Amino acid sequence: MGDVVGGNMRQPTAPQISSPPDEQDKLLDEALGIVKMQAFQMKRCLDKGRLMDGLKHASTMLGELRTSMLSPKSYYELYMAVTDELRHLEIYLVDEFQKGRQVSDLYELVQYAGNIVPRLYLLITVGLVYIKTKPVLCRDVLKDMVEMCRGVQHPLRGLFLRNYLLQCTRNVLPDIPDLVEGADPPPPPPPTTLATQITTSGEEDGFGGSVQDSIDFVLMNFAEMNKLWVRMQHQGHSRDKERREKERQDLRILVGTNLVRLSQLECIDLERYTRGVLPSLLEQVVSCRDAIAQEYLMECIIQVFPDEFHLTALDSFLKACAELQPAVNVKNIIIALIDRLAAYTQRGKDEPGANNGGTGGTTLPEDLQLFSIFSKQVALIIMSKPDMPSEDIVSLQVSLINLANKCYPDHVDYVDDVLGKTCEIFNKFDLEKISGSSPVGRELLLLLKIPVDNYDNVLTLLKLEHYGNLLDFMDYEGRKSIAVYLINNALENETRIGTSEQIDFMLGLINPLIQDQADAPDGNGGSADAEEFAEEQSLLGRFLHLLSSEDADEQYIILNTARRHLGTGGVKRIPFTLPPIIFAAYQLAFKYAEMKEEDDKWEKKCGKIFQFCHGTIVALTKAELAELPLRLFLQGALAIAQIPFENRETVAYEYMSQAFSLYEDEISDSKAQLAAITLIIATLEQIGCFGEENHEPLATNCALAASKLLKKPDQARGVGICAHLFWSGKNVASNGLPIRDGKRVLECLKKGVRIGSQCMDTLVQVQLLVELLNHYVYFLEKGNEEITAALLNQLLAKIRTELPNLEVNEEREQIHKHFDNTKEHIKVGQANGGVLVEVQLEE
Amino acid sequence: MTIVCERKRGGDYLYHLGRNSYCSSVARKKGAKCSVSQAAELVLVLGDLHIPHRIATLPAKFRKLLSPGRIQHILCTGNLCTRESFDYLKTVAADVHVVRGDFDDNLSYPEQKVVTVGQFRIGLCHGHQIVPWGDPDALAIVQRQLDVDILITGHTHKFEAYEHENKFYINPGSGTGAYHPLEKFVIPSFVLMDIQSSTVVTYVYQLIDNEVKVERIEFKK
Repeated sequence: MGDVVGGNMRQPTAPQISSPPDEQDKLLDEALGIVKMQAFQMKRCLDKGRLMDGLKHASTMLGELRTSMLSPKSYYELYMAVTDELRHLEIYLVDEFQKGRQVSDLYELVQYAGNIVPRLYLLITVGLVYIKTKPVLCRDVLKDMVEMCRGVQHPLRGLFLRNYLLQCTRNVLPDIPDLVEGADPPPPPPPTTLATQITTSGEEDGFGGSVQDSIDFVLMNFAEMNKLWVRMQHQGHSRDKERREKERQDLRILVGTNLVRLSQLECIDLERYTRGVLPSLLEQVVSCRDAIAQEYLMECIIQVFPDEFHLTALDSFLKACAELQPAVNVKNIIIALIDRLAAYTQRGKDEPGANNGGTGGTTLPEDLQLFSIFSKQVALIIMSKPDMPSEDIVSLQVSLINLANKCYPDHVDYVDDVLGKTCEIFNKFDLEKISGSSPVGRELLLLLKIPVDNYDNVLTLLKLEHYGNLLDFMDYEGRKSIAVYLINNALENETRIGTSEQIDFMLGLINPLIQDQADAPDGNGGSADAEEFAEEQSLLGRFLHLLSSEDADEQYIILNTARRHLGTGGVKRIPFTLPPIIFAAYQLAFKYAEMKEEDDKWEKKCGKIFQFCHGTIVALTKAELAELPLRLFLQGALAIAQIPFENRETVAYEYMSQAFSLYEDEISDSKAQLAAITLIIATLEQIGCFGEENHEPLATNCALAASKLLKKPDQARGVGICAHLFWSGKNVASNGLPIRDGKRVLECLKKGVRIGSQCMDTLVQVQLLVELLNHYVYFLEKGNEEITAALLNQLLAKIRTELPNLEVNEEREQIHKHFDNTKEHIKVGQANGGVLVEVQLEE
Repeated sequence: MTIVCERKRGGDYLYHLGRNSYCSSVARKKGAKCSVSQAAELVLVLGDLHIPHRIATLPAKFRKLLSPGRIQHILCTGNLCTRESFDYLKTVAADVHVVRGDFDDNLSYPEQKVVTVGQFRIGLCHGHQIVPWGDPDALAIVQRQLDVDILITGHTHKFEAYEHENKFYINPGSGTGAYHPLEKFVIPSFVLMDIQSSTVVTYVYQLIDNEVKVERIEFKK
């Protein structure tokens, strides 16, 4: 073997010049041409049985692999072409040996090849043939080959040579356990050449090596390849660093193949892995002190070995992680491992049958505290790497939470533990007001969302002591986005929040939506614009419906608690947040009314509820609102009228009079006024709980307010609507039946006609008269004897006279249609022989 | 006019919508026009959602039924209360008509509206302005004033569909089943009208005991 070094020296040592791409192509083409030619010659010689000549051509062909001019990619192509041709040689040799040719000859013979690269390729080819024909030699040949390969120390050439070695031996690696437990294999032969040993060793003594020899072989090859690979980094000019790193990434799979080969050895059991294989691998990985290699190889180890191995050897693996170079992205390695193990235990749960034997291996060993190990080791890694960016630390916590969720779904305390540790880290780093758009903020948002998604029950967060604390590290926008997230989750899952304690907690978490925050930007309640603010607040409004309990008394407390929180929201928020509370309270009053048999205090409770609502609506009026509280008071009055509790008339009157005051004092726009008084009248028409002394002033006030509207048409319409108060309206005196005060109905209608006639615009005048005509017809048909056919005829005549005078336009058309339709309706009534018979439709 | 009334399970809707989509796919294959799908128009009628004042959301089973792209027009009786509810309707159909309910603050919604679909003039009004609320004779006045074949109103949170003096009246009820002080048990409901030239087939969808029940009513001009 003395010429190994010399051979190496004789190789071309041209500097690694990155030749331009077309130059590369040219070089590669040339080399491939030679390979093709020599391969052809080789095969021809072999066909003629001229082995020596064949080997010579093979050697020349292999000589092409000595180049230093090719990029890894081109070199790979060349390598593939060459090894492809070598297969012919291998097949020929196997054939020859089976015919009885002496093995030892060749092993010696190929060593005379002039250059080391072709020589070693040939040696490997022949060595493989040896092993195939005489398995008993396996261990020694393997050992010899893997050591001989050291002769090539050029990284690229060495890596491919060793890759060839690995490829060739993939099917012949011994994979049987040691025959005798504890017994050492026979001592290595004295340092004679292997060739002599081959010729002398006895045939068929049956001991060609065990799995341990394969392990040693691959581990050694791995170590050497890794060294070559790492050395690439330190060759050439520093300005080519980037290119070199890329080239190394391209070549990494060559190194990784060693690990794959190890994982394919079936006789590597847990014991061998934890005591032999893994420690050697880790030692090599850690000691190479190269970030690219470390990151790739650690991930490789995770990928290729089974989960059971990782579970058992977790501690040593994680310890090694802590020792890696600072530039290594440990986070990704740990996360890959955690995700894998979490998925693994998940699988175990999905197949319950696998648990039974305990040997199925798909369940966690009882005594393995997977979470504690990770938790502890992650903490150590964080401590040992002071330069680790905080977002990476948080994303490690994210994967810890994922692990806890997947493997220990019942252990809420584990999740809380992670949240607590994250708090500590933030405290240590002195981080606060973390923005959701910063890298660490994004990870933190993820961390905060995982428990929400995982439990799909926001109330579980109550058990997480540190959740709120951790949330407080976020800035305003971040806290708000979590609040919105929580609400959406609760709405989707219809999570009912049914106790005061739960409400205090939840409203605490979503506080950025409930009240102004010190760190919120000014304007729009801390939202980007008014629209976004409205959207957030109505989302909150929807959420409030989840605050409910089956128990009525509890529900009352809930509403009070919520009201207390929401009251702090300020004038911008309460229009969104208080109405849901008020409507919930009205419904609660109905509930008490239904429970009157079981709860003898129901009347008092209803009284309290309406007092509570009254106060809440008044709070809205203080926010400079008028129309919303007015409607809410009217809604309250309607509810009160339906529930026969003591004192309800007084309460209902208070609600109605409050509505009136708002109408009178706060609503000035004429259109809004008409809408409001119409609603008041329509509401009063439905309420039958007032005695005469209360109904009268309210009804009169309605009529008065209607006649005081600014515009004449509004007056006429308002007064017309008031007529219903005295017909279908009810009060205590009428025993809840319609009042049917025909005279006052007529008064209203007449007043309407009078006001209508005062309108200067004839178009509007006729329009109002047609509308009022319909009211007349309505009440006539309802049996109001005060309304006579004569009155209708009068009105009809008036309309008939005015109609032709109107300017022809679309509006006139509409009025005409309305009039025609009314006449049509009267005709139908007349045909049925009712009260309308005496009405004269035509002049 | 004839009123045909029959009770069916919720599956009818899918059949109903399926027919249209089948037609259009056949039409595409043959490259010919499909007269049925051209003439038939689906109109969704709903309102009084009262989100977030009185209830959190539209029932999930309704949301599932109202998948986008199958309905051409929406006539909404009002009380959407928020921009989001309107935006939601916009995702169900592009053509959305809304009138103002008593709890709508959006001033751009009109008090009344007339929409023509097929040969039908359809009047739309929330109904809180029509006194007494839900009174058929009072509603008839509005029908005459708007000169419509079909009058749609809401406010009472109670589904109604009836014919009166050869005109058709629909109240889709409350789509969410929102609380109403005068209606003890509000059933979530909406109406789907299949309008083909002079015929309206009306399907009312009600959520009873968390089951969607469908009823079919036909109206001919």
